[in-house]
Amino acid sequence: MAEIKLINVAKTYGKGRKAKNAVHDLSYTIDDGTFVSLLGPSGCGKSTTLNMIAGLEDISAGEILIDGHRVDDLEPDKRDLAFVFQDYALYPHMSVFENIAFGLRMRKVPKAEIHTRVTDAARRLDIEHVLSNRPRALSGGQRQRVALARAIARRPAVFLFDEPLSNLDALLRDQTRSELKMLHAELGATSVYVTHDQEEAMTLSDKIAVMSRGKLEQFGTPFEVYHQPATEFVASFVGKPRMNLFTAAKLASGHYGLSGTHFTVDVPAVQAPEMRIGLRPEECDLRVPSSGEAAHGTVRTVEPLGNVSDVILDVGANQFLSRVPGFGTFQPGDEVVIDTQRARVHCFDIKTGLRI
Amino acid sequence: MTKSRRISRHVKRRMTAIACSILVLLVMLFFLAPFVWMIIYSIYPSQVLQGGIPDLSAANLTAGAYARLFSDTSFLVPMGNSAIVGISTTLICMTVGSACAYAIARFRFRGRQTLLMSMMTVQAIPVIVLAVPLFILLRSVGLYDQLFGLILTYTAFILPLVIWMMVGFFEDLPPSLERAARIDGCSRFQIMYKIAFPLAAPGMAATAILAFITSWSDFFLAKVLTSSNAVTLPVKTAAFQGLFAMDYTSAATAGVITAVPVLILTLIAQKWIIRGLTEGAVKG
Repeated sequence: MAEIKLINVAKTYGKGRKAKNAVHDLSYTIDDGTFVSLLGPSGCGKSTTLNMIAGLEDISAGEILIDGHRVDDLEPDKRDLAFVFQDYALYPHMSVFENIAFGLRMRKVPKAEIHTRVTDAARRLDIEHVLSNRPRALSGGQRQRVALARAIARRPAVFLFDEPLSNLDALLRDQTRSELKMLHAELGATSVYVTHDQEEAMTLSDKIAVMSRGKLEQFGTPFEVYHQPATEFVASFVGKPRMNLFTAAKLASGHYGLSGTHFTVDVPAVQAPEMRIGLRPEECDLRVPSSGEAAHGTVRTVEPLGNVSDVILDVGANQFLSRVPGFGTFQPGDEVVIDTQRARVHCFDIKTGLRI
Repeated sequence: MTKSRRISRHVKRRMTAIACSILVLLVMLFFLAPFVWMIIYSIYPSQVLQGGIPDLSAANLTAGAYARLFSDTSFLVPMGNSAIVGISTTLICMTVGSACAYAIARFRFRGRQTLLMSMMTVQAIPVIVLAVPLFILLRSVGLYDQLFGLILTYTAFILPLVIWMMVGFFEDLPPSLERAARIDGCSRFQIMYKIAFPLAAPGMAATAILAFITSWSDFFLAKVLTSSNAVTLPVKTAAFQGLFAMDYTSAATAGVITAVPVLILTLIAQKWIIRGLTEGAVKG
């Protein structure tokens, strides 16, 4: 078991004028036995961070500690970790058994022990019947399991996953995701999981590190990331459908409105003249304006999903999304009022994007 | 679509297929005829072939020319020389070339592209331009008419080609496999011979065969750089053509003997190249 500590870790590619910072000054601690996801869009530095933890890439600055020992100058195999690759990276010239056993052989584990561990890992992942096959004879899902078995058989202190589910079809992905969660509960090893899929991050993780452009935006529990996004980026990136974000101007103390519309939001504690406001679509209700009440916007389209419907509104020059239960009663062209009574209002500084 | 149009399309397709087959046959004939004629010459007495319409009945068949050549030391020595030169050149080229190509394919360093380009430039220089300087050079260092001199020369010519080809094969290997091997505890060297080389084996085999064929069947350099001691098979074969007379049977037989290993190796190479070893390595 292990705790991973990143202290001011940075990665720069190139030298001099051509130097490009891929990762800036990362500092956080991944507690022993926890499952942490690195979440962000492509090119945000999440895979680079994982590779630096693994030792597949050198760090340009800072320190990485595993269980209090500095590891950033150690070779990958000396860090006691296993890595599951996005493309599985199975050795095509070896059988499934040899693939799982390879890492153990390289570490000079006794033959009998290798056999026990390989069969145990294969049994856990239900791939015992394909142990003698070559990877090319397996389906995508089976290959994924072999890659997982290879990691498990090593019994490492840390598991690193680099988007391991992204090559599976939707159904298999959901199934494997649940299995991964159970596997983590069973093994209890510290796990770091890179993904751009927020659903995966939310369902699997104890904590999520949201990254953007090489910087850490927020490191918190799924609850914190969803309900208390630290930056506007986190607010816009996490949550499906995306949070409604718009610039609002102060109308009166604690009272903000979207310019050119009658849509207003009460934010008692804030005094800034202008700020970015975020509202989750599922927390905003719609209703027909009562007599004499001015409408906030007009329904543009309705997208029914079965249990809910996404209603897209034109509110002034902005688009606003509201998720209503069932098929809803609204038609395109209807004038509606947005009811934000039960919504959490997220406020962000217009310049820094930080939560107010 | 009407029936007649369907038939005309069918006929058209068939005609195209027949035309293609005829074309292939013609091309095959063009390439194979000299070789078949050479084989015929090696297994029939020349008297049978040179007088009007040749009588190719089984009664005339003879392996005498082969027996004669295989019992003749002046033929066996050049054959041994060719084998030594071919195998040694191939071994050196593959050992040095693979390691070099792996480094070029996997490490990013200054001048990498220039290095690769300069290797190809060597290939652009006609051998004839270098023949005389090479002759003078080898003579001055005492390697003229020596097998080692010949091996060294062939290595210099073939190595850049080997590296060039192998770089392509190594670059095609998914880098994640090597990263997985690093996590599994392989050193750079172990990654090379446990992962990269077995996976690039089809490419390596094809390259090795190319290197062997080039050095085994080269005539020009061997002719310039040897006189008696290190004469190779192609030079010996050419020697059957005298100034006033030519021993066609021996020349054809020697030609077949020179060509057979090349033919066998090419067939093996074909099998190797077709086998897609990396299939199933990664997603898909």
